[in-house]
Amino acid sequence: MIGEVLGHCRVVAKIGEGGMGVVYRAYDEVLHRDVAVKVVKKDAKLDSSGRQNLLQEARASSSLAHPNICTIYDVGEIDGDLYIVMELVEGKSLHGLAGEMGLAPETVLRYGVQIASALARAHDRGIVHRDLKTANIVVTPEGLVKVLDFGLAKRVGGGILEAPTLSFSTVQGASSVSGTLPYMAPEVLRGDAADARSDLWALGVVLYEAASGRLPFGGRTGFEISAAIMREIPNPLGPPVPPGLWAIIQRCVAKEPMQRYQRATEVQAALEAVQSGAIALPEAAEDRTAGPPRTTTMHSIRHVRIKKKDFVVLVGTNKGAFILRSNAQRRRWDVGGPYFHGHSVYAMAYDGRGDQRRIWASTSSFWGTLLRSSDDFGKSWTNPQQAPVRFPADTGTSLKNIWQITLGPAEEPDRLYCGVEPAALFETRDAGQNWSLMRGLFDHPHRPRWMPGNGGLALHTIVLDPSNQQRMYVGISSGGVYRTEDGGQSWTAQNRGIRALFMPEKYPEFGQCVHKIALHPARPERLFLQNHWGLYRSDDCGEHWTDIANGVPSDFGFPVVIHPRDPDCVYAVPVESEEFRCVCDGRLRVYRTRNAGASWEPLMRGLPQKQAYETVLRDAMTTDSLDPVGIYFGTRSGQLFGSSDEGKNWNRILGGLPSILCVRCAVVEDEGLGNVFPVRPKATKQVPGKSNASHHSTRRKNKKR
Amino acid sequence: MKVTIYIPAALREFTNGRSEVSVEPSGATVGEALSALWNAYPGVRDRVLNEQDQVRQHINIFVGNENIRYTGGLTTRLPKNSQISIVPAVSGGQ
Repeated sequence: MIGEVLGHCRVVAKIGEGGMGVVYRAYDEVLHRDVAVKVVKKDAKLDSSGRQNLLQEARASSSLAHPNICTIYDVGEIDGDLYIVMELVEGKSLHGLAGEMGLAPETVLRYGVQIASALARAHDRGIVHRDLKTANIVVTPEGLVKVLDFGLAKRVGGGILEAPTLSFSTVQGASSVSGTLPYMAPEVLRGDAADARSDLWALGVVLYEAASGRLPFGGRTGFEISAAIMREIPNPLGPPVPPGLWAIIQRCVAKEPMQRYQRATEVQAALEAVQSGAIALPEAAEDRTAGPPRTTTMHSIRHVRIKKKDFVVLVGTNKGAFILRSNAQRRRWDVGGPYFHGHSVYAMAYDGRGDQRRIWASTSSFWGTLLRSSDDFGKSWTNPQQAPVRFPADTGTSLKNIWQITLGPAEEPDRLYCGVEPAALFETRDAGQNWSLMRGLFDHPHRPRWMPGNGGLALHTIVLDPSNQQRMYVGISSGGVYRTEDGGQSWTAQNRGIRALFMPEKYPEFGQCVHKIALHPARPERLFLQNHWGLYRSDDCGEHWTDIANGVPSDFGFPVVIHPRDPDCVYAVPVESEEFRCVCDGRLRVYRTRNAGASWEPLMRGLPQKQAYETVLRDAMTTDSLDPVGIYFGTRSGQLFGSSDEGKNWNRILGGLPSILCVRCAVVEDEGLGNVFPVRPKATKQVPGKSNASHHSTRRKNKKR
Repeated sequence: MKVTIYIPAALREFTNGRSEVSVEPSGATVGEALSALWNAYPGVRDRVLNEQDQVRQHINIFVGNENIRYTGGLTTRLPKNSQISIVPAVSGGQ
């Protein structure tokens, strides 16, 4: 080939060679300039359509005049050999420059801006690179970046046309897709067409490699690399990589194209923003060597944007959490998440007390159970080094799960409670910095005789009496209802009238399997209870319970929720039986009483009435405080239903979620939602034999913390 | 004595991204090597052990290829140049 003339270029010397082509240095004898000529090997599997494609792509790419794009001057064929004449770029590949240690962050940013700019030009012209990698990015001695081989990596007859630099191995056997495996986006691996966002993925990989000298998705075999691309999250890049650059890389390598930047110009702008900050304030980058992060920022996750007066629904599932946003109309919903991939989220709460806008979530996985919070509607979450809720060493007990997060009194926005498994109650008085076990309940003489149910031995319900800060109720499976009148120092079982069909004695003092308790702040002496078997009401703070299962198809069920303005109106979702914990006859029906349980009516308009073998778990139902009242519930099959007219009509808001464990809702900046209803309680009825210590309002005006 | 501890991907946010950490423990048991790891990277501890200092149910710790559940737990003695791996169990059904 040396000495031959291709078009008007005389081949001078060989520069490099790879699986599909050889690159030569040549001299353009008409325009008198040095050029590079890539000649596709004769044995490359190029059929005629592949050849046409390649020529078309090369011609299109030749229109890309950009300082950071290696210009294509000419394409042609000679004696059946396909060749491409291009700008001769002399310099080093970014792959070689990155080496094993990576480049200084300022350099990465400088090069990154140029690469993004090149991609932006090509994408504007409808050209996708398809094989962006450090090996085909060359940096000249002057620091000018040149991206090679635009549009040339199109699949040709089952083979891959490699870049002229050929300095990085293309993984063998990846013949059904074009590109180089470690840089390939998940959608390309799945066989979808590459688009501009696939190039942005590759740009993220390039930036990661340039900054660290390592590939973000590695492996010894093609299979391992593919698995990492599809599923793994790259190891974080700490100092000296500034958090801003790391954030950009993370967004580029989001698994779903929709979650990435959508345009190269966005990446360019983001890199320039970090660049200006990084150059002006090199020390400003967060010093991560000082200690592992206390907060995890969720970059690759879709977030909802919350405005004042927006309405949010929090959904905890057995594989993560979701945040839904709507307005007071509650017709259209944006969905954020999933947060905490693969973790069970049994409990969530929204805390709008004082000036807080905080979401709480408990997460549970092989790595333990954590209580976490977010002050920015899910964009970042605390990720404490030490589990905040933990049993003291002397108890010999370890935390299995957090089933309930309950806000303390409205007057004390730093006080919260957690109900956990094994059954115990924890309290914080400093907004979650420190949690302490409430010994009064833990040391109760009944505790050794409480029995774990199917879901474990859990304290899953905490109910505060808004009229009396010293009074509180808890529900334990299987232990029953317990009440304190002294702020948690002592507790009494309150189960008179509640059956325990699984016990030899049908009305024991304790041991009942309570599923949920509801209280109305306007009538705090009244409680409703959904038991393992049995629907009950108490009108005397749990001293006595009356069976109110009058007209429900079954008295077995899990949730019970109360209308925020009508203390006689209660909702429940009966299931068929202990053995078959699905709604009766495969018909999904919510039952409502408007007379405190004297009678119940089914609500089903809009709910599936055929083969809907659904279960609604104890915390998977909630009401809002709007007018008309909204009711929301999630099912074990991952469907979220809602009604914005008090249950008359229902809509499926979302389907296809993992099993729904909890549902909560709140109006943002509508102070004090969550467990505290915006209703001023009336005077309370005195508990027999107890003094009624204090009466407090449930409302509080924006007290600053 | 130098001990290499392999960190699973899920915990690397607490080790500044490191997939392996070398420690020089004060003694020659797995527990002492892990204590040295907690000292350097405190966030890892509560993910591996519960508050009663027991290895979490679904987490396995290997010395070489041996699961310490069968060799004395955290008191397992370490041979020279040991390699410890922290590995979440394979399980399913949920």
